[in-house]
Amino acid sequence: MAAESPTAERKVVVHLRATGDAPILKQAKFKISGSDKFSKVIEFLRRQLHRDTLFVYINSAFSPNPDELVIDLYNNFGFDGKLVVNYASSMAWG
Amino acid sequence: MQSETSARQWDGTLSPNDFNSSVAAFCERWKEVNDSLPQWLWEPFPVVGDSSCNAAGYLTMENVYHQNASEEVSHEESILGDEDLSDDATLVQSCGKDDIHVYDYHIVYSFNFRVPVLYFRGYRLDGCPLKLEDIEKDLPAYSLKGLRESKWTFMTQEDHPYLRRPWYTLHPCGTSDWLKVLIGSNAANNQPRPLHYLSAWLSVVGQAVGLRIPLGLYKSQ
Repeated sequence: MAAESPTAERKVVVHLRATGDAPILKQAKFKISGSDKFSKVIEFLRRQLHRDTLFVYINSAFSPNPDELVIDLYNNFGFDGKLVVNYASSMAWG
Repeated sequence: MQSETSARQWDGTLSPNDFNSSVAAFCERWKEVNDSLPQWLWEPFPVVGDSSCNAAGYLTMENVYHQNASEEVSHEESILGDEDLSDDATLVQSCGKDDIHVYDYHIVYSFNFRVPVLYFRGYRLDGCPLKLEDIEKDLPAYSLKGLRESKWTFMTQEDHPYLRRPWYTLHPCGTSDWLKVLIGSNAANNQPRPLHYLSAWLSVVGQAVGLRIPLGLYKSQ
């Protein structure tokens, strides 16, 4: 779906950041192809944490749609050469 | 804008005044980031004799066309498996008029929960309303998964507060909780600007109903 371009082929460094009481990953940084969808990041997180219900968001600003391309997220919201993705466990209601 | 200034930690809600005062800016911003998408409009709804009603109206985005294509075939599998399923060989279904569905989305402020709430409905081209199982067929796999599994986003049918007809809605009871997580305590005075709040909120509810939000909406102006 995305047009072939040099930028889409590059790798993006993703830094997964635990928030609240979510477990911290041993390997929190990895590289992913820019042309991959964000759903791949979500799936990676789910596999690493053995947990299905996660709340994933970027920069205190928004939760990305799983169909977004990683390169688009990085170009718009990345900084210091990486895309920081925050994750939290869905909290129980009081 | 500082109508709800408080030394307490922010509770994840939006005041009626903040909602009201930001809707015009929200519509403007949406138009700025992509004016080829269906637009959000403010629908005023004067409430006669009710002086306590601050937010007399709601946001609407209507006549959003949806057509099911071959992607529907893969959605069932992606709920169960975790492999990357990009199946380029799926056949394209022949799309007749029956396959075109139309959706209306409304953003209505809830005075009970002090948060915006998404209401939506779908119907066929002949005006016949879609049942829940029809709507579910239109939703992408990630929406269905979230609706079924997340404690924070689930769908119910409620009377539209202004139109008094049953619409589908994402129940607002968890909204302030997940907004507190998402926005966190980075905002000055622990309270985000209303436009930041609305776009953050929409990013989550949009996913729950398969509504794609342009990334530009989230960028600070």
